[in-house]
Amino acid sequence: MKVVEYVITDDYGLHARPAGMLVEMVAKFKSDIQIASPKKEVSAKRIMGVMSLGAKKGETIKLTISGEDEAEAAKALQTFLKANL
Amino acid sequence: MFGKLKSLLGGAGIDIPSPVAGTVVPLAEVPDPTLAQGILGKGAAVVPSEGRITAPADGTVDLIFDTGHAVSLTTQDGVSLLIHIGVDTVRLAGAHFTVCCKTEDSVKAGDTLILFDPVAIQSAGYDTITSVIVCNTEAFAAVRPIRSGAVAAGDPLLHIDK
Repeated sequence: MKVVEYVITDDYGLHARPAGMLVEMVAKFKSDIQIASPKKEVSAKRIMGVMSLGAKKGETIKLTISGEDEAEAAKALQTFLKANL
Repeated sequence: MFGKLKSLLGGAGIDIPSPVAGTVVPLAEVPDPTLAQGILGKGAAVVPSEGRITAPADGTVDLIFDTGHAVSLTTQDGVSLLIHIGVDTVRLAGAHFTVCCKTEDSVKAGDTLILFDPVAIQSAGYDTITSVIVCNTEAFAAVRPIRSGAVAAGDPLLHIDK
């Protein structure tokens, strides 16, 4: 299992566009990927769940990745988060 | 046999009405790749002729963005809908939008969810084209637009085959 934590720096938080891009990105991996905001934890592979986190600037999101390609997924997620959130 | 008959009569699916009055255009014409390419799901877009978003069907509000530029809801038929007003309008940070519902509210078809000022939004340099997207498209056999041209709020916009 790999855990990636990230503090959102984007002024607009995890709104529809980055949520969509995130879901599209994690869909490429076989691992089970969960995403948690201070409010709740949901599957990172389902757009409605990811948007419903309503994660805002300054909040920490935590991704928990379990599966055969978890190392690769964790690395890709770190890059994605820095570039987009 | 009844299933076949039902589908012939159009009874085996769900119609999703338009949440806003305006002109229907293909989702692919929305100038935002995340929305236009169907990454969030299939759907249609409406160029609004008025500044009111209403609930297309009875359901529950999953998330109303504080900025009022988008709302997601799940209908009582289990359809997860995202209604996203305009392009990049998150940047308006709530200006020209009035939120009329709360996350987790139960709503009835026709209830007002969001009011917005299309003229002010356009004057601020933003497109008001509104995307109506079925976020759980993968849960259904097909999601397709069933209207083009002028639409009133409440007119069927999308058809979903179960």
